Amino acid sequence: MATASPSVFLLMVNGQVESAQFPEYDDLYCKYCFVYGQDWAPTAGLEEGISQITSKSQDVRQALVWNFPIDVTFKSTNPYGWPQIVLSVYGPDVFGNDVVRGYGAVHVPFSPGRHKRTIPMFVPESTSKLQKFTSWFMGRRPEYTDPKVVAQGEGREDENAEAEIPRSTWVSLCPSPAWLMLPFCPQ
Amino acid sequence: MAEVHVIGQIIGASGFSESSLFCKWGIHTGAAWKLLSGVREGQTQVDTPQIGDMAYWSHPIDLHFATKGLQGWPRLHFQVWSQDSFGRCQLAGYGFCHVPSSPGTHQLACPTWRPLGSWREQLARAFVGGGPQLLHGDTIYSGADRYRLHTAAGGTVHLEIGLLLRNFDRYGVEC
Repeated sequence: MATASPSVFLLMVNGQVESAQFPEYDDLYCKYCFVYGQDWAPTAGLEEGISQITSKSQDVRQALVWNFPIDVTFKSTNPYGWPQIVLSVYGPDVFGNDVVRGYGAVHVPFSPGRHKRTIPMFVPESTSKLQKFTSWFMGRRPEYTDPKVVAQGEGREDENAEAEIPRSTWVSLCPSPAWLMLPFCPQ
Repeated sequence: MAEVHVIGQIIGASGFSESSLFCKWGIHTGAAWKLLSGVREGQTQVDTPQIGDMAYWSHPIDLHFATKGLQGWPRLHFQVWSQDSFGRCQLAGYGFCHVPSSPGTHQLACPTWRPLGSWREQLARAFVGGGPQLLHGDTIYSGADRYRLHTAAGGTVHLEIGLLLRNFDRYGVEC
């Protein structure tokens, strides 16, 4: 019989936001943050970060490379609320304002080892055509006040129109095997 | 009690003739299952692909069940709808798939179907929109009374689901 007290386990996440493909935009930077349930708490490392601004490579790949490190350890007693990494990408528009180019979220992988994730990104879109034009013109596009909303399931039906731009942001997340101890049997 | 964690996301949908899609999803379990944390159903945002034809939702799913029996293993069911620029919604497909039963991460592709009506209704749907819908949502995930339906194929819903099981060995179930 398991002990009466809840068992604590650690989840160590090492990795990077590697690169992105945005065919239409250039000079982008990204921000990451983690969203997790109530039973989770970060114990080490940074749970938020802002990357450098990167430009597209001149070669055929047209890659936007950040190579931005992610290093965080969580502790928890319950897999419910498994952490998700939320990425927001920003860049300048034609008038020079800083606008959001995409939001995306993915769960941290469940099993130890090396994982590569490609995250599609999307931007919120206004439903009215006039609002779309004025927001393009004024450089004040629809934006989330808190990007963590992207990692939540409730309330999405109120987001009436989303323009999706399937970008790929390669995120390699490799939890180090020595630290991932789970009382459950994932394999 | 044995516990099951279903953690993952509804990635998106592909192969639908309509764009601007959203998905209403739900999970159905047997009577012996109890939902400890998480929401049992939800609705994604509407997504309009700019490049390619796959609509991406990345809608997170995080559920924690406790159960006393294997009967009624959870089934995810979906209704994919399209929304036009006037805000009208039209059914694009129904689909369901069982939650996997082995621990780990799984990529699932769930095919969908939509009911066809008479030739008049099909003609009306092509011009005006609308079309027949199911009265009872449980036909999506149950086999009873399906013989009455005549349906056409829709696109595919893509999911990535991770599964964690606990205490199943105590009940003699190997996982």
